[in-house]
Amino acid sequence: MKAGEIIDRIKKQLGVPWRDATYRDTFKSGGPDSEVTGIATTAFVSLDVIRTATAAGLNMIIPHEDTFWNDRDDQAVVAQDAVYKQKLELLNKHNVVVFRIHDHMHAQRPDFTYVGSARAIGLDPKHEDPPGSHRFVIPETTLAALAADVKHRSGARALRVVGDPRAKVSRIRLGVGYASPPINAADIDVLISGEQQESDGTFDSQPYALDAAEAGVAKGIILLGHTISEEAGMLEMAQWIKGFVPEVPVQLIKAEEPLWGPASR
Amino acid sequence: MLPERGGDRSPATHAHGAWYNRTPMTRLSRREFAALTAAAAAAPFAFGPDASAAAALTAKELLDRITAQIGVAWKAETVDGLKAGDPSTAVTGIVTTAMASLGVLKRAVEAGANVVVTSQPTFYAKADTRTPPAPRGPGGGPPGAAPAAPPPPPAAAPPDAVYTAKNAFIDQHKLVVIRLNEHWKLRDPDPQAVGLAQAMGWTKHQVAGNAKRYDVPALTVDALVAALRKNLGVAGGIRVVGDPKTSLRRIGLLPGSTPIQASLELMPEVDAIVAGEVREWESVEYARDQVAAGNRKALILVGRISSEDPGMRVCADWLKTVAPGVPVRHIGVGDPYWRPA
Repeated sequence: MKAGEIIDRIKKQLGVPWRDATYRDTFKSGGPDSEVTGIATTAFVSLDVIRTATAAGLNMIIPHEDTFWNDRDDQAVVAQDAVYKQKLELLNKHNVVVFRIHDHMHAQRPDFTYVGSARAIGLDPKHEDPPGSHRFVIPETTLAALAADVKHRSGARALRVVGDPRAKVSRIRLGVGYASPPINAADIDVLISGEQQESDGTFDSQPYALDAAEAGVAKGIILLGHTISEEAGMLEMAQWIKGFVPEVPVQLIKAEEPLWGPASR
Repeated sequence: MLPERGGDRSPATHAHGAWYNRTPMTRLSRREFAALTAAAAAAPFAFGPDASAAAALTAKELLDRITAQIGVAWKAETVDGLKAGDPSTAVTGIVTTAMASLGVLKRAVEAGANVVVTSQPTFYAKADTRTPPAPRGPGGGPPGAAPAAPPPPPAAAPPDAVYTAKNAFIDQHKLVVIRLNEHWKLRDPDPQAVGLAQAMGWTKHQVAGNAKRYDVPALTVDALVAALRKNLGVAGGIRVVGDPKTSLRRIGLLPGSTPIQASLELMPEVDAIVAGEVREWESVEYARDQVAAGNRKALILVGRISSEDPGMRVCADWLKTVAPGVPVRHIGVGDPYWRPA
């Protein structure tokens, strides 16, 4: 089976028009004529993901994120790097095809990144209010208890929190990856997201949550990390592709959380 | 279980003392401030502790002196400058900090200072205005999700309680806030790297001519994490790529927020990079692949704000030469982050 045929079926099944202007959702290795033995979905095409996928007989990798450490996967940026050269060699040695699916995954309904993230941290769809809003209203708890529960369920070793641990919270806004609404929205207490610029951006949610704690305003931000935030939904992506590509095996191969962190105390 | 953020802080970078764990030790009394500044005033070439000299200087004049003496051309378009307060205010004391958080402002007032010089924004955005930015959808920065349609704002949005509290505190105490970031870090050698090395006790290990590079006595990743906790007062904000047992000797510093190009340039020549903030899809994944390729390396992130506070301590020393006779000191923000067990 050829990679081009798989991509054609993805485009057909997507439910939203394909935007050819995307620079993200393109081949990063191999091409439409590459022969595919099996498909791995993942957050990042790390060296370990390439090794694990090819050992399992899967030579097509569909990541949500970039392969060459920059969003455009501009290989000129990394061309002089020794590890880049090793990565390229490994991809070529195993005839690996890489096709990123990012923009269209977020355009699809439902957006699997939100579905997977909510599942991974235990947010029940029946608490989503209003439906499809990524805002969940849960029984009142403290920021400390919520953060501990989210950490336990997600397994995120490097999870970080800003805000008064004792703050009473119930209205949660879920963000994914690097896309987070501002924490100061009047209808949310807690923002749970992947990664967020710490300051000097369009809105700095961490500094705001720090001052909210000092001012006695119940606001918190829980940062899961980019991979933890978006990789869960690559399971849904694998299951979806499996439904219309029965010819080859399809499975999630996790990149896993790259970071660890010491406890606060 | 509530996370504990109080322990393990050097008095030098004593921090913000979490609101629920503040001890008198983390505050500086007016008398202590005076004692510190008296020592500064006794330094060579400084004027004596003449109150009238201090009283004569306005915030506007201070900013003019900074602009004139910073050593790099002042940009027409800049994030630096006056962010709050009356420029005609007579300066009673200056506090430098990585970020003028409400906690830092309170401790500045307790210390008798009325001017705060901050590296990062005061009002939660690059725009740094005293009112909240207009509500908008989620930022679409790469590689983020496609923005979902934001819910329509309520007909009469209530005032933002955090902005209100901060503005009220600034007004009540007649504070002046000046941002000094993009010009400060353009100085050579990079004062943020110099400060970080000073805080870690690495100055004597500097690789000649490069404020970003230090060849230190060998230590493990675990030991380096412990030293960062102790010397920078950072804990929950620390995140690491790499094996805790990896032995390190060659250290590279990337304070602030840095793009992949900085890591690509530095990582091959060091065992570990200590950075403030990077993009996870860039430098974190690059470091992960470095380790997976068999290279015994590590990337340690301490947070943007925590990485910039030591450089603002250096800024306090510099401001003593810009405003002789005026009490100047540094107050750290402290680690904004905590992590559940």
